[in-house]
Amino acid sequence: MIYIIDHNDSFTHNVVHQFSLFDKVECDNYNNISKNKLEKASIIIFSPGPGNPKNYPLTSKIYKKYKGKKKIIGICLGFQQILFCEGAKIVEQNKIYHGFQSSIQVINNKSLFKRGHKFKVGRYHSLKLKEPFKVRDFEITMRCLESKVAMTFENNKDKIYGFQFHPESFLTNHGNLLIKKILSA
Amino acid sequence: MNTIKKLTKIHNSGNPYIIYKSDRGFDLYTNFSEKIFLNKSNINRFLNKKKNSKKSKSTDLFIGFFGYELLNNLIGIKLPKQKSFNFPKGIFYKPEKKISFPINLKYEDNDKNNFKSKFELNINRKSYTKIFNKFKKKIKSGETYQIKVCTKYKTKSKINPLDFFCRLSQSNLAPEAFMIRDKNYSIVSCSPENLITKKGSVITTKPIAGTVKKNKKMNKYKALSYFKKNIKENKEHNMILDMERNDLSRICKVGTVKLLKIKIIEEYKDLFHYVSLIKGIIKKNIKNIDIIKAMMPGGSVIGCPKISTLNLLNRQEKENRNIYTGSFGYLKFNGDMRFNIIIRSILNFKNFSEISVASGVVVDSNAKHEFNENYIKAKALIDLFK
Repeated sequence: MIYIIDHNDSFTHNVVHQFSLFDKVECDNYNNISKNKLEKASIIIFSPGPGNPKNYPLTSKIYKKYKGKKKIIGICLGFQQILFCEGAKIVEQNKIYHGFQSSIQVINNKSLFKRGHKFKVGRYHSLKLKEPFKVRDFEITMRCLESKVAMTFENNKDKIYGFQFHPESFLTNHGNLLIKKILSA
Repeated sequence: MNTIKKLTKIHNSGNPYIIYKSDRGFDLYTNFSEKIFLNKSNINRFLNKKKNSKKSKSTDLFIGFFGYELLNNLIGIKLPKQKSFNFPKGIFYKPEKKISFPINLKYEDNDKNNFKSKFELNINRKSYTKIFNKFKKKIKSGETYQIKVCTKYKTKSKINPLDFFCRLSQSNLAPEAFMIRDKNYSIVSCSPENLITKKGSVITTKPIAGTVKKNKKMNKYKALSYFKKNIKENKEHNMILDMERNDLSRICKVGTVKLLKIKIIEEYKDLFHYVSLIKGIIKKNIKNIDIIKAMMPGGSVIGCPKISTLNLLNRQEKENRNIYTGSFGYLKFNGDMRFNIIIRSILNFKNFSEISVASGVVVDSNAKHEFNENYIKAKALIDLFK
């Protein structure tokens, strides 16, 4: 079972539908997280959401507890949340991408995806990862072609993955394939 | 009896009645046997009312509206104390009579309007700009991605709603137009936006995001290319589409939520709109109340994400929105429904007419432009007071 923690977002149910194509999904609001479901889940997903990672201490706690024990995937805010727990700084960007379709590229050999491959993806983020960011086993694997902002990270040792863009958005081409590959990793 | 006489007779009888745009013309509902005032505590019961509908009649439905505050309460959002003239939070009627009228709505006038054409605006450009800049900061910090700031035009008046509605329908025919005439209030609307059309298990929503003023140079074709090239309008629209997909996904079967029409142009009296159509198949065991809670208040008139944006808006707005950005429509006994978003509407109550409008703050919008867009949206209604 996949357990999605909803950070009060208006895109979370698109995420639910996308992951439901592959497995049974349970989704609860951040204010209503079930310990039981967390225990039962084989994969935990941190949804997109407004604000910044500091606003969601419970999610940080869950991350630290299950890191290395279960597959964890973060989307948008969820991506930032995981990196924040790993000591990264999450900062405002000069140019903001809300409802924007960008081209991104795989830039790392350690990615599950083929280096050099390009995607078109939908973005909804005010904040971004402050770089340089170097933490053991975490690799930035895709970047925006234009702004070079980090778009995905992969930790294939602990099975932790993050998308700064929205794989579930109608603006993302082949979002389901991306998710399928991460789920089967 | 011809249609003009029929309409005149119903109007002059003084009884409450409702007119709603249909596919071919207008449907008029009257002879109300029930009138239900909705509030936080009875809305659940109202929506889940089981009605026997073995032999279905065309009047087997409740028709009316949900106000903005009630829809907030329904999804667990409380409004702070606001200036309000205690307009009801929601009213539904059970009609016993339905009459269809052709598109060219006419009646014989003997009811006089009493109004001034001068409107007062509750927020001037200076304070609008201040609010606008405050919300821009909230977008920068990620608390909201898009937020719709509401302004209100008011004038002391007593209007004849049928006169207004007939003139409005001639100048600006809108697919979700409606009017309500009751003893102590009336609503006249040329809403263009359908929020829910549900037939059996199929549900559609038709969000609007994007407005451009019509003039001699701007035709439908040029409007399309204007929107296509305008990154800001596109981003705003994209966001609304993903949000409406989300809201439908709450109540629809996995894999059934589909974009049927993406970014088409609709033409109105003073403006063009950028519109899409989304469809889904409703899951089993979904109740009426689940549908209302998932879809309302309609996201395109609030901003995104819905909950945090509603909270920001409610803390900012000093006056109750009343009907504005609520929903009008009907709920049939068999579970089918049709609801719009109440925008482009005049609420006449206690000898005041108010028209509310809103436009979106996104990171690259401009206060002057949005302030003027508000006026374009109100213009077709303000012009009726002449």
